[in-house]
Order: sequence, then C-alpha cells, then structure tokens
Amino acid sequence: MVFDSLAAVRWLTDPLSAPFMQRALLAALLLSITGGLLGTWIVLRRLAFFAHAAGSATFPGLVVAGPWGIAPPLAALAAALGFAGLLARLTRRGAIGSDAATGLLLAGALALGSVLASDVYRSGAGVDRLLFGTLLGLGDGDLWLAGAVALAAAAATAALARTWLATGFDPAAARALGVCAERGDWLLLALLAASVVAVLPAVGALLVSTLLVVPAATARLMTRSLHALLTFAVALALAESVAGLLLAYHLDLPPGPAIAVVGGSVFGLAALASATPWRGRPRAAT
Amino acid sequence: MSVAAPERAARIEVAGLAASYGPSEPALRNVTFTADGGHAVAVLGPNGGGKTTLFRALLGELGAVTGTVAISGATAYVPQTERSRLDFPVSALDVALMGAYARTRWYRRVTAADRVLARAALQRVGMAEQASTSYGTLSGGQRQRVLVARALVQDAGVLLLDEPFAGVDATSEEAIMRILDELRAEGRVLLIATHDVEQARRWDRVLCLRGEQIAYGPPAQSLTNAVLEATYGEEIVMLDCGHRAVAIQHHAH
Repeated sequence: MVFDSLAAVRWLTDPLSAPFMQRALLAALLLSITGGLLGTWIVLRRLAFFAHAAGSATFPGLVVAGPWGIAPPLAALAAALGFAGLLARLTRRGAIGSDAATGLLLAGALALGSVLASDVYRSGAGVDRLLFGTLLGLGDGDLWLAGAVALAAAAATAALARTWLATGFDPAAARALGVCAERGDWLLLALLAASVVAVLPAVGALLVSTLLVVPAATARLMTRSLHALLTFAVALALAESVAGLLLAYHLDLPPGPAIAVVGGSVFGLAALASATPWRGRPRAAT
Repeated sequence: MSVAAPERAARIEVAGLAASYGPSEPALRNVTFTADGGHAVAVLGPNGGGKTTLFRALLGELGAVTGTVAISGATAYVPQTERSRLDFPVSALDVALMGAYARTRWYRRVTAADRVLARAALQRVGMAEQASTSYGTLSGGQRQRVLVARALVQDAGVLLLDEPFAGVDATSEEAIMRILDELRAEGRVLLIATHDVEQARRWDRVLCLRGEQIAYGPPAQSLTNAVLEATYGEEIVMLDCGHRAVAIQHHAH
C-alpha cells in the first residue's frame, strides 16, 4: 500500500525533474491564464467557431514562414488578421451569414496550407507539428510571447470586463448604458488573434480550442457568476494541461492531443453531472 | 393620483425630426413634440411604425438625423427583456449595477455607494429578495422590473421604455404601473412604446407614429378614430359602435 502511494507520487513528480517538463509547465501556466480568461469571453460572446477558424487560418502562414524567412508568430498573426479582415469583408453586406463565411475561409485556409506544404515547399514531417504543436519543444521566444499575451489578457479582462459583459448581455442597450461597445469588440478580436498565435506552438493550428474554448465551456456548466467563471476556467485550463502533459510523458503521446482528450473527457463528465437532476435542479414534486 | 412637485427639470423637445439607418429613405419623419417633466407619453404605432427608430434617434445612436432634439436630463433605455442574453452569468443585482457603468472609471470597481443604490433600486421595484437570483431564471415581468431598476441606478430623468408590458404577468404589470406612476410624479419624462391602444389611453400624452407623426396630444384628443385608422390602416377594428378601437397585430390574424 505504502509502495503504491509512493509510486503514485513518483508518477506525478518524476517528470517534473526534467528541465524540458519544467519549461512545459511554465508554458502551460501562462497559456492557461490566457485560455481561461479569454476563453470565458469567447464562450460568452459565442466566438468559439471564430477562434477555431482563426487558428486554422494561420496554417498557410506558418507553412510559408520558414521558406520566406519570416518569424513564425508574425506570419501566423498576419494570417489570423487576414482571416478576420476577409470575414468582415464577406459578411458586411449580409448576403452570407457569418458562420457560413467562417466555414468557407476555414476550408480555404486549410486547403491552401496543404497545397503549399505538400506541393510547393515539401514541408514533410514539419506539418504535423504546425497542425498539432508540441508543448514539449517550446523556445524562449514562444515563452516570452505566452507571457506577454497572458499579461495582456489579464489587464484587458480587468479593464474591459464590464464593457464586454454589458455588450454581450444586451447589445441594443449597451450604448445607452455609456459603454463603448465598438471599441471593446475590436480590442477583444485583436486580443483573440494574439492569443491564437500564442497557443499555436503549444497545441498547433487545429487544436487552439483545446485551451481557448474547452476549459471555459466546461467551467460555464458549473458556475453562476462571472467572477467564478473566470477563476474556474483558468484553474481548469491549468489542471487539464498538467494532466495532459503527464499522460503525454508516461504514455509517449503528443501533448496537444493528450490535453484535448483530457479536456473533452472533463467536459463530458461536467455535462453529465449538470444534467443530472440531483445537482442544482429541484425535482418535480410528485 | 396626486402629482408631487417635480424634483428635476427633465424635458424633451423634438422638432422636425427625420431619422434613417442609412442613405435610404428615412424610417421616420416629421416628428415634432414636447414632453415636460412629470409627463408619461405613450408612443403608439404598428410594428415597423418607427417607435424603435425614434428611441434610437433620441439616444443619439443614428448617424443620419435631421431636425432638432433637445433633451435635458440623463436618458435611460429600458429594452424588451427577451432582447438580452438570458444565459449570461449575471444576477438581478449585476444587471441593476450596469446602470452605474457609465460613471465607473475603467480602472475602478463599481463603488460601494453604487451597490447600495442598486439594492435600493431593486427594493423599489419589489425585487430585493431576488437580488442574487440569475437574471435568466426570472419571469418576464420580473426581468422588466430589474431593467427599470437599472434605469433608476442610471438616475435618468428621461426613460425610454420599449413595450414594458409585453409578455408580463398581472403581478408585474401592476408593479411596473405603480413604479411608472411614481417616476412620473417625481418629475421624470417617460416615453412608453406600445401597440396597445387601451394601454396608450392611460398616459398623459399619446404620440402616434406610422413612418411619420400622425398625431400628438392628450389621449382624449389624439386617439380619434381617424387618427387610429391613419396609424394602423386596415389593422384597426372598431368596437362598441366606434367608441373603442383595437389594433390587430399581423400575427393575431
């Protein structure tokens, strides 16, 4: 019994002695702050599909970054902003719905990226890393970027929470409340693009939702106030990242998909628990 | 009811107002009226008649406005409750506190004094006990009362209420009616959008809109059969040998 619990503790602590794991944990902490805070606004403002598509849209940018000699984060940011700009242009006249336009651009970006990767630049095995990332191989630049974006996300949430809450709650009345809805929305979208670029090296272009959507969507099921939602989303993002990292270490899995699996499972359990009558909802009197 | 001496000098003066959403034809034109503090004005008209356009123009949200609008006193907008996101993690108190956002600097929290004010406003509309209840789980009438409390926290002299009695239960209707009477007695100006002719008869003035101003004045003078026919067209039905008129909405056909 004693042996068993010791082994369990070692299972948890041994990986942490490796420097590359400590680095990965630091990255997980920084990205969880970003993911939990901005994820809350993504979920509340129904921007999850936008966030996923912005992540995928960076793929062609990342493919050409190497051959063209551009820093990958800059190429990714340019691609994400290009996506947002095209989306605004496509939906301006109202002839095409925003979700259809998002889907169109998402498919276009992935197709363009695949053609560039396979036929033009022959990126080979690197493509996997661009699409799914690796929390275990981050450079100094990636960490600095993660730190800067986490700081920006925290500062923006502190300063703009009221604006984002009032605008999302009732856009028609926000202006009459003295809230500058438009400026707040532009800042939110810009920050979202930056956060997508920050999580890219860790979880890749296809799995940005793992950190930016899943923890906040799970926390949403279990909280009733904004403050609790923000706090719980950050805590959950961190816990899921660490659990995914440990699984990846012991089972030799890629960390991004491991975190995605953990996050998806926790969401499933939370959804089950919140749908069960004994929790939160009074039973019908019979 | 007795009218107390006005505590504030709220007033709306609109002359020759035309408003549009873009370069197209104005959605509303030829609007001229004055409402003094202590007056409740029913804004009557069919759906698409220009009630919401008038409110948005008064709030300064429409770029293309001609004519003059002079409003003294802070203006609050009380929207229809189902226009808001009922799944948001906000309590009744959180929603009332939104009335204090405009005077809260971006780097500050909402002040303790404003929290006291928000609780007092909820108390006034009879919602003190539900202060920490999720807004989305309240009934339509209770939500409407919370939105009125939010306007009280804004300390508005002018309140623009968009169909405040739509989808509201009898208890809340009574409570809202009582609070509106109180607000009017305090010298505020109320503009109450409605498509209910009987409701409009209750208030001090009626402004009839159908793309333009059809009539403005006390109900006895402005709610004539001719005016109602001009406001509602073929949607109007006369009862009691022409003494009472009922507007039929399209969805009721």
